[in-house]
Amino acid sequence: MKKALFASLAVLVAAGAASAQTTIKINGYGGQDPAIVGDLINRFVKPALAKDKITVVYQPLQGDYNQQLTTLLAAGNAGDVFYVPGETLDGYVATGKLLPLNGVVNTTPFIKSLNDAFTRGGKTYAVAKDFNTLTLVYNKDIFDEAKVAYPNDNDTWTSFQNKLAAVKKALGNDYYGACLAPEYARMGEFAFAAGWQPFDSKGKTNLLDPAFVSAFNYFTGLSKNKVAVQPSELSQDWSGGCLGSGKVAVAIEGNWIVGFLKDNAPNLKYGSALIPKNDKTGKRGNFVFTVGWAINSGTKNKAAAAKVLNILTSPNVQQYVLEQGLAIPSRTSLQSNAFFKKATPGAENSKVVFQGASSGTVRPYYFGTQGPDWAKPINTALAAVLSGQKSSADALKQAQQEMNILQNR
Amino acid sequence: MLKKGQTSAAYLFLAPFLITIGIFFFYAFARAIYYSLTDFNLFNTPRLIGIKPYADVLADPLFQRALANSLVFAVITTTLQTVGALLMAVALNNKIRGMAFFRSAWYMPSITSSVVITLIFLWLFQRRGVANYAITQWQAFLPYTLTLIGVLIAAQVAQVLWERSRGLPAGWFDPALAVVSLLIAVAVTAILGWTGVLSVRDVAPYDFQYFSDRWISLGGVQILSIPMLVIIIQNTFTTIPTLMLFFLAGLQNIPGALYEAADIDGATSAQKLLNVTVPMLRPVTFYVITVGLIGTMKMFDQVAVIGSAAPQSTLITLAYYVYTNTFKAGAAPVNMAAAAAIVLAAIILVMVFLQRRFISSDAV
Repeated sequence: MKKALFASLAVLVAAGAASAQTTIKINGYGGQDPAIVGDLINRFVKPALAKDKITVVYQPLQGDYNQQLTTLLAAGNAGDVFYVPGETLDGYVATGKLLPLNGVVNTTPFIKSLNDAFTRGGKTYAVAKDFNTLTLVYNKDIFDEAKVAYPNDNDTWTSFQNKLAAVKKALGNDYYGACLAPEYARMGEFAFAAGWQPFDSKGKTNLLDPAFVSAFNYFTGLSKNKVAVQPSELSQDWSGGCLGSGKVAVAIEGNWIVGFLKDNAPNLKYGSALIPKNDKTGKRGNFVFTVGWAINSGTKNKAAAAKVLNILTSPNVQQYVLEQGLAIPSRTSLQSNAFFKKATPGAENSKVVFQGASSGTVRPYYFGTQGPDWAKPINTALAAVLSGQKSSADALKQAQQEMNILQNR
Repeated sequence: MLKKGQTSAAYLFLAPFLITIGIFFFYAFARAIYYSLTDFNLFNTPRLIGIKPYADVLADPLFQRALANSLVFAVITTTLQTVGALLMAVALNNKIRGMAFFRSAWYMPSITSSVVITLIFLWLFQRRGVANYAITQWQAFLPYTLTLIGVLIAAQVAQVLWERSRGLPAGWFDPALAVVSLLIAVAVTAILGWTGVLSVRDVAPYDFQYFSDRWISLGGVQILSIPMLVIIIQNTFTTIPTLMLFFLAGLQNIPGALYEAADIDGATSAQKLLNVTVPMLRPVTFYVITVGLIGTMKMFDQVAVIGSAAPQSTLITLAYYVYTNTFKAGAAPVNMAAAAAIVLAAIILVMVFLQRRFISSDAV
């Protein structure tokens, strides 16, 4: 009797273990992402993991992603796999909650500069899920109407500025050359082109460097005579919105603008060109914006989490992401993809975004160890000058003072 | 005397309150003090490092700005809202028709969520917002308004002089005459407008940025930022109604005999307000100022909602400083946030203590 009981118990336990589902929770952005990632999970992840008894749940964090993820990590409730933005990586590395992926995931198929963006002290903490760079996205109708040549890949700072001024002159008060958000994320690439480095060998930032000053003056100078406007002046919150309104000839944005224009301005005819080159150095600059997949070091299912991560960065998933016009895949092998050769404006933009990553001085969008506070003095200075409250010299002097305080903390 | 068993019953009924306050106040407060003396960053095991976090916090320029902003905000807002609430309560204490409507109408702002009101204010004070639009319109229609006011004054003066020349006692602000003057002024302005003598001026849109790095300075020291001024206006607007209720309750308790005596002595309404109402309301005023100071020192939501729409230094308050140092991307200087929170608590305690000591020792 006893034996029979034991035997049946053993069978029950074995059956329980066999049918036990492992659940992998994924944290990511809200907004468009729940729909996209949900679709990815249903199409690619679930079928691949069906036999392993692994289920995957996407839990989007609405609002400030970094803040929410930090709280969840501190409380031990974060997902097994989650997004880590390249610019805030250091803050998370300091928490010890990111699992080093060396030996867990093979990172060689991915673009090296993207791997570097997630590597600190020889340890890689995330795999880039995709990336973006900045491009000039222009409204063809406005240039045609003004009888001005489209921006092209050979433009220099001066020729680009002249084109914008010519558009403004031809079309008058209701139209603008460009829409410039007062943000380091839209101005920094000009500084890179001029030869500026965000951090010197001691990790300090010099905003009074002549290269930075020349780029700052060029960027803010575009708004002279209202050739360029800030998004707020057109009641928009980003320059993509300005371009969508049809009143602005050029926006400096990445591939994320493609989906926005498809939904919000389906009839807008647009083209894309590389960021103009600096007249003196002959080089252009650009940012690489990237978000990576990381594994929670506290996960109970490390192997399952690694499996999910591998599927989410697999070639067919990245192909799908590329075709949806969301971002540019991070795998080296997909860079010669047929999609880049398509003649649609979205595919053309993708191609320019891809080229942007290897043309001139390209740096990751990254704030150093201080985190997002680092960019605030620059943004404040840009806003003050673009709105005409301060001279460029005064604004930069104050920004440098604030930067010193921040970096000496 | 409590009978046997009653004490435990009393504690049983008090338990929910005692447990909540024990966990969410005493325990949390003790934890905050502990963290403020450690190197805690949300993820490490806290290690005691003494008062270094306090030294770091006091040396942080952002903290100094937050402290200055909080104090300036608290003093100005508390003054404005106390005076405003008192005047409004006195106005609403009259027995006129439709008073119930006015009381509810004036109470509305305080029951609306401050987040919603902040969003409305953000919209009002945008660069292309209603405030700038109204100013532009005011400038454009200035010829009309000036004519209206000019004719109104002229008509009123003429009428009063005429009444007086007939030996009648007419005051300069006589309401009946003012209505007639207003009608005349409207008619004159309308006629001038129709005949084309007056026209709308062509002015450039007024283009003031309220949420920008602009300051009201005294002797080169930045005292009050324009974004903060907007929040002061908003906060006064939303808190006056609540405080007004306290004053209204206080007003009901002032014996009517005092006012009758003042009337017999020939006191004017201003004298009655200053010499009867204000002194009799002292206990209520003490309460209102205390609540006001604590509330304004802790102000957070408006700043958080405006967020990055205005430069951080123009708006940062102590409560917001604590918040930004706790919630960052990854490891955060939580020890500094805790130290700042303790400093904030100490300031509020000192403020209330000083007030008890010097403002209302005889009234409470």
